[in-house]
Amino acid sequence: MMMSPLRPDYYALLGVSRNATVEEIKRAYFESAQRLHPDKNKAAGETELFLGVQQAYEVLSNPKRRTQYDATLPAAEQPPALPYEYRILYSRPSLVRLDEPQMLYVVLELRAPPEARKTTAPPLNVALVLDRSTSMQGEKLDVLKSAAIQVMRNLRPQDILSVITFSDRAEVIIPAAYHQERSRLEGRIHMIQPSGATEIYQGLEAGVKEVMRSLDSKRINHLILLTDGQTYGDEQQCLDLATRLAENAIGISCLGLGGDWNDIFLDVLSTRTGGSASHISDPQDIKRLLLEKFNALAQVFAEDINLEFKPVEGVDLSSVFRLQPDPSPVPTDGKPIHLGTILQDTSTRVLFEYIIQPKAVQSEKLAFMDGTLRVSISSNPLPVPPLRLALQRPVTDSPEADPPPPEVLHALSRLMLYRMQERARIEIEKGNIHTATRQLETLASNLLAQGERSLAQTVMLEVDFLQKQHALSDEGGKKMKYGTRALFLAPPKKEIVP
Amino acid sequence: MIICSNCRHENVSGAVFCEECGAQLDGVETLVTQAITNEQIEEELRKKAPRPETDSAPANSWLSLHLMDSGKILPLASRNEFTLGRLSEGQPIMPDIDLTPYQAYASGVSRLHAVVKRDGSQVLVMDLGSSNGTYLNGRRLNPHMEEMLHHGDIVALGKLKIQILLRNI
Repeated sequence: MMMSPLRPDYYALLGVSRNATVEEIKRAYFESAQRLHPDKNKAAGETELFLGVQQAYEVLSNPKRRTQYDATLPAAEQPPALPYEYRILYSRPSLVRLDEPQMLYVVLELRAPPEARKTTAPPLNVALVLDRSTSMQGEKLDVLKSAAIQVMRNLRPQDILSVITFSDRAEVIIPAAYHQERSRLEGRIHMIQPSGATEIYQGLEAGVKEVMRSLDSKRINHLILLTDGQTYGDEQQCLDLATRLAENAIGISCLGLGGDWNDIFLDVLSTRTGGSASHISDPQDIKRLLLEKFNALAQVFAEDINLEFKPVEGVDLSSVFRLQPDPSPVPTDGKPIHLGTILQDTSTRVLFEYIIQPKAVQSEKLAFMDGTLRVSISSNPLPVPPLRLALQRPVTDSPEADPPPPEVLHALSRLMLYRMQERARIEIEKGNIHTATRQLETLASNLLAQGERSLAQTVMLEVDFLQKQHALSDEGGKKMKYGTRALFLAPPKKEIVP
Repeated sequence: MIICSNCRHENVSGAVFCEECGAQLDGVETLVTQAITNEQIEEELRKKAPRPETDSAPANSWLSLHLMDSGKILPLASRNEFTLGRLSEGQPIMPDIDLTPYQAYASGVSRLHAVVKRDGSQVLVMDLGSSNGTYLNGRRLNPHMEEMLHHGDIVALGKLKIQILLRNI
């Protein structure tokens, strides 16, 4: 073993911490072995790495040898050098000893190191899954075709793209491969004809097959689904597929066109993999949004950010929201929680909302989060060491009056707007039209106060619609939802005074 | 819990914005009850607003409007409620105080913009659903919701800024 002049650090090789359990070591070994196995991987130097991983596992999986090995290590564990930067912000410096529940917000920021911002991002392996059902006929499909062609022209030589269309069955228009003769393939895209119903599972399944053909951990493996309609009966199949994709670090992004698609379903489908759904209200925006999506994928520095944590008595992680990039709620029911990607030039920020019960704040401090954050960076030959997120706050009797840091304040002011329309939706579900109307009016005045005129207008139009129809309009409701989400990215137009 | 000073909604402790009306909560200060004496309040008010000359005000005026752009002071008396706005032709309901001479139209004042009224020892302001909104110290008021006024507060009807001068408070 000549990894380095020093003894190899077996823990670093496997990417586990010094106090890792036997299960963690076993799992880390299987993951690394799968990735590095010489049958699959012919890159120079990786066979040596594989042997190193083998040796590390042999030592660490045997309790006796592990104890002997541990004895040769320096007493204090050096915190492993992370190939990315991170920062944690809290809404307040301390918790208060109260006999009622209290909230705490935490913002986790992850960033690529400055030197990584200049390097070439990993090559893509993307399947573009396009709805060609009858409802796409006309402008939508025309713009979509020209957008798909533009995407192909923009690809780098190392990228792999496949194009699948679906209605009630799927067709592979362009199979996954490197594309030399792109102009010939453009003809195939021109030939796409609208017909049939929308069955999303058909499209997804075909897309997954194409991505699987050149599945490679050194690539960004991703599906982009574009649809304008609802799928019927195959939702559960789609969601099960998404769960399997998440396990293989394959992401799904959804683009919903117009007002008729099922936003709740596509949100769940994409966020399960750490991706997100977006709304395209004007077909003319298809091109811009699709190209933006590809540009973002071509700038991925780290992917498959996963958070696993142990439950803490009296502490409830009530919601998680990714603030940037791709603002989106993150489902907290999955294990682990998939937080998405880190782009080269944009930091990733995730907001955690905790509700803390009185019984948890009895002692001097509260360790409210004991978790492990894992990311995978395909340009890194070694597995990235996991980041232990052991977060705690002191508990005091009298609160401190410091306002939250500006980043947290900004995020919360935007979350408040997003939540207002979510609350109004719940009231509409319950049939409380009057309450929902008042909430939406308040939302509109808050949007105006923050300088968001056009979104405020959208909300006021929905208030009118709600009065007449006792429901939100398909299109306007989505504009409101995705419009308030997009505000997370906008810099504050009006200064919020803490 | 934290009670929103704007809409009285009860928010969970530690919340930063009111989930009901979106106002920023004063946060942790309201977790503890503070004893505030009248002297402290008066001291605060004196600091906030040096009283301009109000000699010309009639003895019974309970509120004066200091139009900040023109420097003009309008003392209000005799009634407990005044609507503010501007006169225009063919208008069925007319405001009690016509602000037309003070560039009301150019500042975006609606015909019936807001109302100020006296309720016991309190003075309240309420936006009447104006087009350009009523602001209290820079914060936009929700229409048809009453807000308490203090001496020295600045109320803006659209862009027309008015300082509130209270008597004997």
